[in-house]
Amino acid sequence: MPVLETANFGNILFTPESVFEFPRGLPGFEERRQFVPVQNPQTAPVVFLQSLEEPSLCFVTLPVLVVDPQYRLRMSEQDLEVLSWQAERQPRIGQDVLCLAVLSFLKSGPTANLLAPVVVDLNSHRAVQAVAAESDYSLQHPLFPQEAALCS
Amino acid sequence: MLMMSRRQGEIILIGDEIEIVIAHIGRSRVKVGIRAPRQLAVIAHEMKLVGEENRAAAQPPPADVLQALLVQLQPAAHTLRSQADECSVRQDAGTKN
Repeated sequence: MPVLETANFGNILFTPESVFEFPRGLPGFEERRQFVPVQNPQTAPVVFLQSLEEPSLCFVTLPVLVVDPQYRLRMSEQDLEVLSWQAERQPRIGQDVLCLAVLSFLKSGPTANLLAPVVVDLNSHRAVQAVAAESDYSLQHPLFPQEAALCS
Repeated sequence: MLMMSRRQGEIILIGDEIEIVIAHIGRSRVKVGIRAPRQLAVIAHEMKLVGEENRAAAQPPPADVLQALLVQLQPAAHTLRSQADECSVRQDAGTKN
């Protein structure tokens, strides 16, 4: 089993089949094409996306339905093409794709990027950060809005 | 900002090398064709914002911040725990009186 050196988790073992392939990289990181999902019971339901190519690059994500159980995935044609998605309909979260919201840790509290979730085809493991077409979702959706209101 | 009205099929030129075609006007969206030199990046504004957001998000936070997040993600467990704390405080108060 290959060993991956990381800045945050030390050396980790991973199976080549578990790697997510981003043919276009991610916005801001266009050259980073391969990420390994890192999960452990202590940090569930968080999914870390660890770059295979850059030991210090690691995103903290949550399944989008944990952030918003009503979340509706609407992918653009271009993003569906990256996944080689053939069907006429949109992919279904859980059945067809894994859909992860990237978290940011701002001074005001953690936020989730619901405008552009990471979408991974569960069969091929091809992945894309999909900018939701015609969406009102926020780039910085507060994870705990009530608390933010209390603090202000 | 320069504002121009254009109809479907009409074209705007920027310098000698950039051409913007109003390809289709729908009810709420406009399809725009862009011809530009390869070395110029043409992206939707949202992609730039997502790139900036990604760069800010590219490393996990300190362990205590992550721990606080995990606690908050388990509201049920957290509520039970804080209720238990409250009970123990009350009991302490009771014994003092």
